[in-house]
Amino acid sequence: MVLKFDLNEEELAALSLNEGEQVLYAVPYDCDLSGRYVEQAFTVVTDTRLVLLCGGVKQAEYRLEDYDAVKAEPRINCGVLYAVKDGQDFLLVRYSSKHLARYAYVARGIALLKSGSKELAHSDENEKSCIVCKRALPGTRECPYCNRKSRGAIRQMMGLLTPYKAQMVLIFILMLLAALLTLLAPEAQKHLVDDVLHNGKGGYPLAFFLLAMMFLLGIGIAAVNIGKSYYCAKLGSTLAKDLRSKLYSKIQILSLSFIHEKRPGELMNRLMQDTGRIRFFMEDVFCNLFTVCIIFISVVVYMLILNWKLALISFIFVPIAGAMSMLWRKNIRRRFRLQGKKSDDVHSALQDVISGMNVVKGYGKEKEESDKFNLYSDVFANVQRRNEVFWALFFPLLSFLMGVGVYFVIFSGGREVLGETMKIGELMQFVSYTSLLYTYLGWLNNMPRQLMNFITSTERINDVLLQEPQIQNTEKACKPEIKGAIELRNASFGYHSYDPVLEGIDLTVKPGEMIGLVGASGTGKSTLINLIMHLYDIDGGELFVDGENIKDIDIDYYHSQIGVVLQETFLFSGTIYNNIRYAKPDATEEEVIRAAKMANAHDFICRMPDGYNTYVGEKGSRLSGGERQRIAIARAILNNPKILILDEATASLDTESEYLIQTALERLTSGKTTFAIAHRLSTLKDADRLVVIDKHRIAEIGTHEELMERKGIYYGLVTAQLEMQAKKEQSIPA
Amino acid sequence: MAEEFDLEQMEKETEAMLRLRYLTPDTAVFTKTEGGFVSLRLGEEFYPRVQVVRMFPFSEPEKYVSIRTAEETSKEIGVIEDLGTFPQEVRIILEEQLGLRYFTPVIKKIYQIKDEYGYAYFDVETDRGRCRFVIHMGGNAVVHLSDVRILISDIDENRFEITDVTKLTVKEQKRLDLFL
Repeated sequence: MVLKFDLNEEELAALSLNEGEQVLYAVPYDCDLSGRYVEQAFTVVTDTRLVLLCGGVKQAEYRLEDYDAVKAEPRINCGVLYAVKDGQDFLLVRYSSKHLARYAYVARGIALLKSGSKELAHSDENEKSCIVCKRALPGTRECPYCNRKSRGAIRQMMGLLTPYKAQMVLIFILMLLAALLTLLAPEAQKHLVDDVLHNGKGGYPLAFFLLAMMFLLGIGIAAVNIGKSYYCAKLGSTLAKDLRSKLYSKIQILSLSFIHEKRPGELMNRLMQDTGRIRFFMEDVFCNLFTVCIIFISVVVYMLILNWKLALISFIFVPIAGAMSMLWRKNIRRRFRLQGKKSDDVHSALQDVISGMNVVKGYGKEKEESDKFNLYSDVFANVQRRNEVFWALFFPLLSFLMGVGVYFVIFSGGREVLGETMKIGELMQFVSYTSLLYTYLGWLNNMPRQLMNFITSTERINDVLLQEPQIQNTEKACKPEIKGAIELRNASFGYHSYDPVLEGIDLTVKPGEMIGLVGASGTGKSTLINLIMHLYDIDGGELFVDGENIKDIDIDYYHSQIGVVLQETFLFSGTIYNNIRYAKPDATEEEVIRAAKMANAHDFICRMPDGYNTYVGEKGSRLSGGERQRIAIARAILNNPKILILDEATASLDTESEYLIQTALERLTSGKTTFAIAHRLSTLKDADRLVVIDKHRIAEIGTHEELMERKGIYYGLVTAQLEMQAKKEQSIPA
Repeated sequence: MAEEFDLEQMEKETEAMLRLRYLTPDTAVFTKTEGGFVSLRLGEEFYPRVQVVRMFPFSEPEKYVSIRTAEETSKEIGVIEDLGTFPQEVRIILEEQLGLRYFTPVIKKIYQIKDEYGYAYFDVETDRGRCRFVIHMGGNAVVHLSDVRILISDIDENRFEITDVTKLTVKEQKRLDLFL
């Protein structure tokens, strides 16, 4: 996301920068305080000032040192930037949602500036629309439209196709051949009509020869086309497959932050839909691309050579037919999109009611709901009927109109034939070419759209492929034996640079120590764990594992040394056996059984008819929460990790499974560095030390007893939970 | 959190949340602040900056206005049942704050709607000036508030309102047809 827009001469002059003063941020604002749109307006932040410009004229100027802070506040579909001075807020500037995120970054930037830091706020977020051409971006960094000009669609396509050179050459030859044969067929026909039928030359032998040639040409065209389609389909699907696997492995390398930035389903779309589009393009468009172009051009040239007057007559209608087919396509698209939309309405109305049936029935609203549904259904039926009528009525009409050009040719050509300036065979050849011309016209008309679809998909795929993973093994990445000492020094981190989640974290953990993390939700406990797991790189400060900077430890190796048990355990569809072996695929049956016993899972597994071979269903849906949890613990035990993460591992369980899991966890955690998050503080009673996180920082740290004596946050939490507990017990009659 | 976590106070607050306290011109004194916001004096209580929030922004923009504390996790101070009951000068201050909070331009005229590769590009005249915006073709960019009133969300999460679709010219309606 751009935080420093280019200012023009006039605007820079209006700023009247002092000696050594630099523009750090320049972001547009698009409405004034009363909510009227303004254009060419900027909020400019320099080292010392915040200046508002509009139309090249300075509107207001604020000295940053006069204010305690500058904050961006999101409003409803807009936002305001205000300054704070002695506890009072001063409105500075207003903007629509378009610039909401931008101002959040700028406010963060000003905070950095005021704290004396030299660091600038920057944003890795993508723009929503292209700054240059204003087109919406399909979720990519680069604009496919502007990029098309700079990088070239053809070159991009060639880049994709380089690994398939041999196949490409073959397809190209076939395309040439197809064009050649298609063009030759009317030529043979001309000789048959003119030489043999009309002039009676050569008699039956020549007639048969020409007929046979036409027949062979027909077969040849079919054969070449089949071959062409076959190889194009093959190329298309191999290309799509290769792209898919490239994308997939890339997505796995990329850090979580990239995945979290995207809307859910977006990466899935890129993986499946965009590669599918490229396959479609290769099979349906590319396959015919050169053939059609060659035929089209040769037909035009050939016709001009044969009889330029007649050729021009037949071309007269081309632009009209072209325009017509374009309009037609547009209309059709519109109609069917409308139909699709109405059909979606019916679907969602239906889904609404069916999934909420108990509410509908409970409140006796069946009649209203069925009326509502009927209305949607009626609208849909109407649109559908209109479309079918349109289709039935206009399609024949269009085909007729598209063919009108041929009548022109027959009319004028016929006159020439009658006037004996043209032979009948030539005319027939002409007619054949004209119909070829019109056949491919529609196809060519649709080309730009198909090409753009293809370019957009390529761009969306390249966007992922060209992404540099944020967490990468450095050159000196090593695989030291992990003992489990963790040290954080002044560590800070935020998922967005304007929104810090953790700040100034100092923490030293000895090998084998169990640390309980306490704090309200959203204070950064899980984030801290994500950092220790090295799913994200810290923004500031340092993180050491056994005295080694975490960035210098081989990522895969490090992850293999960590065991994780989360609140919602994720099991892969497959057997219990495979799920336990997940982290250590070469584990023997005995090892798996031992691990399951340690995790108190062995007994329930044996009670299942299929034992360890029980299929757990997607995401383990056939098992209860406690059972899934114990399998996850067995998985962690089997892996024998040096560092263990327990994130609400015993929440939302019944008492019995909680006890079983608690004992299983005790066996698992002994001797391992453990980080445990739990809301219910009683589950952290075994922790060696507790870390209380509040307001992005470590607020308290110490053993249970120490913290209770301090009577701080932890004390408050414990007493509150005890009181709640007591209250609950009171309300249950003994 | 925990410093504030006091069961007794929590209970008190929950009780307070249940109460519907109406603000009237004789109890509530609204003053525009130097910084462009609004403050509230309510008997003994003084709030240097309050938020003015509509409860029914679409159906009853002038009624049931919640006056809330300024911080992010705001709490309700009181409710104005009808802005009309307040004297003109106070209403102007409050309307101004509402204007600052909500930004939903009303489309008056549609110059052009162009669709290209899954996005529709709008060029419109609104009550706040001319505007160009882009919406997703798929998805739920257009929401019906009633049979004639629609709300359009663009890719930047701005929202635009058409108060009455039938008041647009036939040509404009046709341009919009696809989205209705």
